Amino acid sequence: MAGDLSFLVTAAHELKAPLALIRQLALSLETAENLPAGERERMLRQVTLTSERALRLTTDLARSSRLEDGLFELEPLNPRQICEDVAHELSPLYKAKNREIRISARYRPLLVVANRDLLRRIILNFGDNALHYASDASPVELRVQTLDGGSRIRMGVRDFGPAITADVWQRLESHLGKATQPLHARPQSSGLGLYVAGQFATAMQRTIGATRHRDGATFYVDLTASTQMRLL
Amino acid sequence: MTKTPYVLIVEDDEWLAEQHARTLGEAGIRTESVPHALAAIDSVDTNTPDALVLDLLLAGPNAFTLLHELRSHADLAAIPVILCTANAEGIVDEDIQAYGVKQVLDKATMLPHDLVAAVKKVLP
Repeated sequence: MAGDLSFLVTAAHELKAPLALIRQLALSLETAENLPAGERERMLRQVTLTSERALRLTTDLARSSRLEDGLFELEPLNPRQICEDVAHELSPLYKAKNREIRISARYRPLLVVANRDLLRRIILNFGDNALHYASDASPVELRVQTLDGGSRIRMGVRDFGPAITADVWQRLESHLGKATQPLHARPQSSGLGLYVAGQFATAMQRTIGATRHRDGATFYVDLTASTQMRLL
Repeated sequence: MTKTPYVLIVEDDEWLAEQHARTLGEAGIRTESVPHALAAIDSVDTNTPDALVLDLLLAGPNAFTLLHELRSHADLAAIPVILCTANAEGIVDEDIQAYGVKQVLDKATMLPHDLVAAVKKVLP
């Protein structure tokens, strides 16, 4: 019960930030006189993109609450295609914030076994999380790596933002995907997106993790490589 | 000649920072925006603001670290601070008054005019 309440509080807080921004922009647009057309357009674009971000979160929360209800179809998927879909969906938001998102993966990577919708949402959450910490100069990378001689595929999102402090990192590592936690070194995230990503990974019997770098972090999900190709 | 007031905005949401700057700019207040406490300290070092509009949760050291730093320098301790946060309901007035916080604005309920009024109230 206490956990449910804490989750609700975190979810409410996470939604408050985009809604507060949308409200401020709308109030200004309502009252603004002599606002240059370009400026008005820019503010409207910010309203659109911020509301889309909030909607992504509400969709994830709704999806997360229904995870126990159903079985999820796992199928062989091309991880590069998933990265391309995510990059396509996030690129308007990245562009509006003068950031770049790009893909670092082989053109013909090994297929992974996963649920398409859940995997896409995991990578979207990582991409959303990375956006806030990427510097103007460094792009965020959606990465696909082959591990353990090809039996495991790691899909991750690498950002080049401020380093996570050791204490925050320790807390993050021990709770990643298990509970929401405030990441004070990365304040725009209460950890809710990562928690939801963890829930989605668990529903596919997979795990998420993170690697700390001197200049940022990589959040990843480890997946089983499809053996379908090897049987051919 | 009257000096144009100068306000430093410390806010890690760049679009909200831009919005604050636009609102204050329309009221004739010059601003600079920085995304975190360390950048704020650098900025204050070179250009002392007449007031600070400060978000509570920031990347790296949080707002209280910045406030501690400012209080530890005699020439910066008097800079009035407007705390602008989405967590306003969790703030106890007695806890923040010692830090020079003159007003707390709730991002979820404030009007653009509230920011201008709060800043004008504390300007020298």
